[in-house]
Amino acid sequence: MKLAWLRSLETSHHDCVWACTWLPATDKSSGLLLTGSLDETVKLWNPDDLSLVRTNTGHCLGVVSVAAHPSGKIAASASMDSFVRVFDVESNNTIATLEAPPSEVWQMQFDPRGTTLAVAGGSSASVKLWDTAEWKLIAALSIPRPEGSKPSDKGNNKKFVLSVAWSPSGRQLACGSMDGSISVFDVQRAKFLHHLEGHTMPVRSLAYSPLDPRVLVSGSDDERIHMYDAEGKTLCSSMSGHSSWVLSVDVSPDGAAIASGSSDRTVKLWDPKMRAAVQTMTNHTDQVWGVKFEGGARGSLLASVSDDKSISLYNYS
Amino acid sequence: MDKHFPNSYRKGRNYDWLSDSGAANKIQDLILEAMACVYIPVQNSEEEVRVALDQLPRDATDILDILKAEQAPLDLWLIIAREYFKQGKIEQFRQILEEGSSPEIDEYYADVRYERIAILNALGAYYSYLGKIETKQREKEEHFILATQYYNKASRIDMHEPSTWVGKGNHNELFWHWIVSQLLLAKGDVDQAFAAFKIVLDGDRDNIPALLGQACVEFNRGKYSSSLEMYKLDPENVEALVALGIVDLQSNEASGIRGATEKMQRAFDVYPYCATALNYLANHFFFTGQHFLVEQLTETALAATTHGSTRAHSYYNLARSYHSKGDYEKAGLYYMASAVAHIYLQLNQTTKAHEALRKAIRIDPRDPEAFLDLGELLISTDSGAALDAFKTARNLLKKANEEVSIEILNNIGVLHFERGEFELAQQTFKEALGDGIWLKLIDSEPQSNSIGESYSDPIRKALYQPMESSLAARVYKDMQLFHNLEKDGIAVELPWDKITTLSNLARLFEQLHKTETASILYRLILFKFPEYVDAYLRLAAIAKARNNVPLSIELIRDALEVDDKNPDALCMLGDLELKNDDWVKAKDTFRAAKDASNGKDSYATLCLGNWNYFAAVRSEKRAPKLEATHLEKAKELYTKHDKGILSNHGSPIAWHMRSLRCSVFTKWHKFRASFSLEDKVSDVINNGEWRWPQAWLDSQPTLTYVIVPTLLEIPRPDSPDMANWSRSQSEMFGGSSWWKAQKSCTPMVLVEHPANMYAANGAGVVLAEKGQFDVAKELFTQVQEAASGSVFVQMPDVWINLAHVHFAQGNFALAIKMYQNCLRKFYYNTDSQILLYLARTHYEAEQWQDCKKTLLKAIHLAPSNYTLRFDTGVALQKFSASTLQKTKRTVDEVRATVAELKNAVRLFSQLSAASNLQFHGFDEKKIETHVGYCKHLLEAAKVHCDAAELEDQQNKHRQELARQAAIREEESRLAEEQKKVKLEKRKQEDELKKVMQQEQHLERIKEHWKSSSGSKRKDRAQAEDEEGAQGERRRRKSNKKRKRDKKAETHMDDQEETEEDNTNTNYYEPENQVNDQVDDDDDNPQDLLAAAGLEDSDLDDDAAAPSSNTGRRIRGWSESDEDEPEKRQRSSSPVRDNSVEMQLSDGE
Repeated sequence: MKLAWLRSLETSHHDCVWACTWLPATDKSSGLLLTGSLDETVKLWNPDDLSLVRTNTGHCLGVVSVAAHPSGKIAASASMDSFVRVFDVESNNTIATLEAPPSEVWQMQFDPRGTTLAVAGGSSASVKLWDTAEWKLIAALSIPRPEGSKPSDKGNNKKFVLSVAWSPSGRQLACGSMDGSISVFDVQRAKFLHHLEGHTMPVRSLAYSPLDPRVLVSGSDDERIHMYDAEGKTLCSSMSGHSSWVLSVDVSPDGAAIASGSSDRTVKLWDPKMRAAVQTMTNHTDQVWGVKFEGGARGSLLASVSDDKSISLYNYS
Repeated sequence: MDKHFPNSYRKGRNYDWLSDSGAANKIQDLILEAMACVYIPVQNSEEEVRVALDQLPRDATDILDILKAEQAPLDLWLIIAREYFKQGKIEQFRQILEEGSSPEIDEYYADVRYERIAILNALGAYYSYLGKIETKQREKEEHFILATQYYNKASRIDMHEPSTWVGKGNHNELFWHWIVSQLLLAKGDVDQAFAAFKIVLDGDRDNIPALLGQACVEFNRGKYSSSLEMYKLDPENVEALVALGIVDLQSNEASGIRGATEKMQRAFDVYPYCATALNYLANHFFFTGQHFLVEQLTETALAATTHGSTRAHSYYNLARSYHSKGDYEKAGLYYMASAVAHIYLQLNQTTKAHEALRKAIRIDPRDPEAFLDLGELLISTDSGAALDAFKTARNLLKKANEEVSIEILNNIGVLHFERGEFELAQQTFKEALGDGIWLKLIDSEPQSNSIGESYSDPIRKALYQPMESSLAARVYKDMQLFHNLEKDGIAVELPWDKITTLSNLARLFEQLHKTETASILYRLILFKFPEYVDAYLRLAAIAKARNNVPLSIELIRDALEVDDKNPDALCMLGDLELKNDDWVKAKDTFRAAKDASNGKDSYATLCLGNWNYFAAVRSEKRAPKLEATHLEKAKELYTKHDKGILSNHGSPIAWHMRSLRCSVFTKWHKFRASFSLEDKVSDVINNGEWRWPQAWLDSQPTLTYVIVPTLLEIPRPDSPDMANWSRSQSEMFGGSSWWKAQKSCTPMVLVEHPANMYAANGAGVVLAEKGQFDVAKELFTQVQEAASGSVFVQMPDVWINLAHVHFAQGNFALAIKMYQNCLRKFYYNTDSQILLYLARTHYEAEQWQDCKKTLLKAIHLAPSNYTLRFDTGVALQKFSASTLQKTKRTVDEVRATVAELKNAVRLFSQLSAASNLQFHGFDEKKIETHVGYCKHLLEAAKVHCDAAELEDQQNKHRQELARQAAIREEESRLAEEQKKVKLEKRKQEDELKKVMQQEQHLERIKEHWKSSSGSKRKDRAQAEDEEGAQGERRRRKSNKKRKRDKKAETHMDDQEETEEDNTNTNYYEPENQVNDQVDDDDDNPQDLLAAAGLEDSDLDDDAAAPSSNTGRRIRGWSESDEDEPEKRQRSSSPVRDNSVEMQLSDGE
C-alpha cells in the first residue's frame, strides 16, 4: 500500500480549509470534491485537474464541516454560527437550513442509505438526527451523564460532542467527545450502548472500516490513532507516530489502510496490521484538518485539506 | 609529620636550590617547628626582643618598626610574614613582605641576596596564587602581572650568576609555590594547599619534597594512621598480592571485589609505593565514592612510578574523582597532568584547557582513555567535539579488540540524541544494550490484526493482544504483561548496568513519538527495579501529556512510595493538583517538596512561588490586599529561580477577556540602558549580585530588591531534560545528576543551563510585572537565544513572555510575529491560549478581520471554550461600533458591519441560551446586555446602511453624470485643439511666405550693392566672411532645429502625438518657422549692417575688444567644426544663444 502525490492547489480558499468530503458520482456528473473553509465558502472541485466547479457563499463564521448524501445530489455544510445548510449540488439551491439551538454544530454525516443526517451537537452532549425527506429533527442521541453527577454539574460540558460516524450497515452510530471518550449508539432503538475509552483528549475524527463493521478508527488530540472493536468494547491497537493532534482519520475503501491528517502538518498512511505508519506525506505546511478516501468508483483517490489553504490529491494503491 | 619531613628534607638536599643556601634549611625548620615565638636580636647588644607569634600585633607596622629598627635578619621578616599568613592576616603578611622588598631594604641588605629573593618570590608566589584562585579575568591578570613583576625583580637581584637564576627561576618559583602551599597547609586550608602543591608538581614532575608535601597533606587528613600500624606486619610479596587482587577484581563479584580490595590494601601496607596497587585501590574508592582516598592514593602512585601508562592511570583516577565530584578545576588540572605539564584549566580558561588536552591527545593519539576524558570534558561546552572524542575512543578500543563499555556507547548515544541525530542515537543505544528482552519488545512486529485472533508468540501476545477499552486508560501501570511473559516461559531479565541506557532509549522513543514503546521499556525497568523512581516519573509525564491526570497522580504516588521525599515527584504532584484546581492540596505538596529538599531544591521553591503567584492572579475578587501579599511572596520565591507552572504561560498579562482588561499596560517609559543584546546573563548577574546599570537603579529602586537567581538546578521531572549520563556504576541511579555537574563547570555562563534559563525567565517575568519591560526583554531574549539549539530544552514560555513585553510596549507587529512564531515552533499552531493572545494583539492594533479570524481558529481548536465565543462577539461588536463612528465609510464597510453585528447577536444569543444550561460561567444578564447593545447597533447600522446605500446610489448617479460630462468636455476640447492647430498652421504658412519674401528682398539688395560699388578688398573679404558666417549660421540653425526636435519628441511622446506626427511629416514645423523667423529678425539687421560694412556692431558680445574681434571670430569659426555647434555658439554669440534657449524652454 502506498500513496502517490498527484496534485495540489495552493490557494484553493482564501483561508484555512477545514473540511472535505467526496460527492459520489451521479448520472449527470462524476464525483466531486467538496471543501469548506474559514473564508466562509464551500467549494466544489473537479478532482481531475482540481478545477473549481462552484463556490457557495452564505455561511458566517467559518465552515467547519461538509457532508455528502450517498446519492451525490445533495450535500450539507455547517458553520460555526451553528447553521447547517442543505443544498442541491447541481443547482446550489438551498433545500433546508437546519438549526437545533442551543446546540452547536460540528461534524456531520449522512447515513449509508441517505435517510438520516447525523450532526454532532457539541455542548448538548448529543447527536442530532435529521430526517432527509422532510428535514425534521427526528431524534437526539444523548450521551448519558456519568453516574453520580448531578444535572446541574458544570462537568456536563465535558461530553462535548465533536465527531460522528455511521457504521457501514447504518445500524450503529459512534460519536467522539472532548474528553476522549467515544459513545456507541443503536440508532434504530435510539439507545446508548457503551463507551469506548482509551483516548484522553478530544476525539476529532471517527471512521468505520467499510469492510468490517466492528472496526472503528479514531483520531485524537492525544496524538494517537486507536482501532476499536466497537462491539467487543476492546482497544485493538493504539498507534502513535504523529507528533501533534490527530485531526482526521479515514479508512481506505479496501479496508487495508488508514489515512490520517494531523496538526504536525503531515498526512500519514497506516498499515493496521503492522500497527505502524508506512508512509508520511509532508506536502502541507500547516495543520491538516481533513483526509478523505474517495469511496466510489474512483476508489483510489485520497484528498487532504489544510490550514495552509491548499488541497492535495493522492493516488492510493 | 615527624616521620615524613626529615625524609623530605634529606631528599630535598639533592636539589641545588636547596643546597645553595642554608636559608632553605632554616625556613624549612621554621615551618616544621611549631614555634611559639621568635627573637629579634637587638642591635649592638646581646639582647633579643621576644615576639610571641600567637600574639603578633594587629597592626603590622609595629612589628615592622622593630624589624627595621633592629635591622633584623630578613629570614625573620619571612617568619613573621608567614605567621601572619597562618593566622589569616593576609594584609599584614603582604605588608611585611612588601616592606621587606622595598628599595631601602634592597639597599640596606644589598648583600643578602637569598632572603631578598625569597621575599620577592614569596610575594610572587602569593600573587600568582591569588591569580589562580581569582575568577574575574581582569583582577586575575592584575595578580599575575604583579607576580611576574616580583619574580622579575627577584631574578634581577643576582646579576652575577644569571645562568644559575635563569635556569633555576622555575625551580625557585616552584619552591615558593611550595612554601605558599606549606603556609596554606599550616593555615589548615588543606585543599588549597593541595592545589598549590600541584602547581609545584606540574612545574617539576619529580619534585620529591612537593610530593612528600602532598603526602603530608594526606597525613594531615589523617588517612595514614592505619597504615602506620600495619607497617609492622610481615612483608609479603607485593607483586603477588597485586596480581591476586586484579584477578579478584576481574571476577566482578562483590566478594571478589572485597577480596581484591583487601589484597590491594595489604600490598599497599607492605609497600605503599606500588603504583598498581595504589591505582586499583583508588579505583575501588572511586566507585565507593570516597574521593579523598582516591586522591591520596593516586598521588602516592604518581610519586612512586615513572611508568607511563600507570601514571596515566593515576592521573585519570584523580581527574575522574574530581570530575565526578563536579570539581572541574581540579579535574581539569589532572586531565592536563595526565598529558602535559601545563596549567590552563582555570575557570575562565576551559578553551585553553581543551586545547591542551587536545594537544596531549595528539601526542598520544592511541590512548582511548584520554579521548574519553576529553569527551567528558567537552560534553558541557562542545557536544560535537565531545562526540568526536568519544567516537575516536570507541574506534581505538575496537581496534585494540577491547570491549567498548556500555558507558561510552551510552554517552555517544546521548550526544547523538542531544544533537537531534535520533537514528544514530537509537543505533548506539541498541548497540550499548546488546541482546535482551528489550530488543524483542522493541522490534517484534504484529503479524495479524484480525479481531479475536490470538497470538501464538508470547511477546506479540503481550504487546498486541486487544485489551478491554476501559482498561486502556491504565495501560501505563500495567505490569501484567511481564508476568504473562514469564508465565509463558520467557525470561524477563534486565542487568542493572543497562538501566541508564535503557531509560535513555525509552526517552528517545518518547522523542520519536513512539510513546507506547517507551512506556513498555519504562515498565520493564520498573518490573525489575521497582525503586527506579525516574521511570515512574517519566510514565507519569507521559500520562500527563495525554491529559490522563488520575493515572499520572497514581504513578507519582508509586514513585513517592519508593522515596516519599523525592522533590521532583512532589513537585509534579503539586503541579497536577493545581491542574485539578486543588489549590490547598497543591500548596501542601509544594511545601512538602520544599521541606524535603531542605529548601535547596530550586524547583520546589519555585513551585511554591508559582502557587502564590497563581493564587494572586487567580483570585477573582481581586482583594487587593491579599493579592499584594501573594504577589510579594511569589516574587520572593520566583526570583530565586523560576521555572515550572509559570510555564503554563502564566504570564503577567494573562488576558482576562471577560472584563477586557486591555488597558492595563500602557506604553512604558523606556529606560536608558547600558546593556546590550550581546550581553550574557553573566553580565547581568555576577558573583551572586545583579549588575544593574546605575541608570536603571536610579529610576527603579525596586531592582535592588529583586532576588538574584542562584545557580542551583534540579531537572524538572516532566520536562524532557532527563537523559542520563552514566559515568560510573555508583551513579547509576542518580541519572539526572549529570546536569548538576554542569553547573560547576561553567558557572559564569548562566543561561546555557536549563534551570538558569528558567530562573532568568522567572526574573524576567517579575521585572515585566514591575513594568521593567526593557530589562525583562533583555533577559527573555537571552533565554530565548540560549534555549534554542537543544532538543531537551523547550521554552515556549520565554517566547510568549517576550511577545507579551512587545505587546505591553505597544509594539503590536512584533508581538504578533512572536506569538505566531511561538505557535508554529512549539505548538503546531494548536494552542488556543496563544491564539487568544494573538487575537488580543490584533484587537489592540484594530485589525478586526485578523482578530476575528484568529478567534474563530481558536474556537475551532477549542470548541468547548465559550470564552472564545464571547470574545469573538466582543470583537465583532467593537469592530462594528468603531466603523459606525467613523465619519467616512464606504457602503461595503457598513454592509460588513451589519453582517458582523448579526453574527455578534447570534453568538451572544447562543451564549445566552447556553447559559441557561450552565455550559459556561457567563452572567446571563451581561450577555443580554451585549445582545441588546448589538441589536441597538444593528438598528443604527441598518439606518446607516440604508443611508450609505442611498448615498452610494446617488454617488453612482452623480459619478455617471460627471463621467458623461467629462466625455463631452473632452470631445469639445479635442475639436477645439484641432481647430487651433489648423489656424496656427495657416498663420505659420503666411509668415513663412513673408520671410521668404524678405529674404528675396535682401538678396536683391545685396546683389544690388555688390554690383553698384567697386568695393575694397577688405570689404569683400568681410563680405565673403559674412557670407561664410551666414552659411555657418544656417548650419547651426539646422543643428538647433534638430536638437529642438529631439526635445520636442520626448516631450510629446504621449500627450501630443498628433503634433508629433506633424513635426515628423512636416520638417518645417510651424514653431520652428516662428523661431527661424525670430532668428532671422535678429540676424537680418546684422547681416544688413555687415553688408553695409559696419560689421563691428555692439550687437556682438565681444564689444570690449573690437579691434581683435574679427580675427577672433574668424579663428573661432575656423577652429570649430560641425560636431561642436554649442561651442561655436558660445564663442560667437551667447546672447543670441540664450535667447534661443529661452525660446526653447518656452516652447516646452
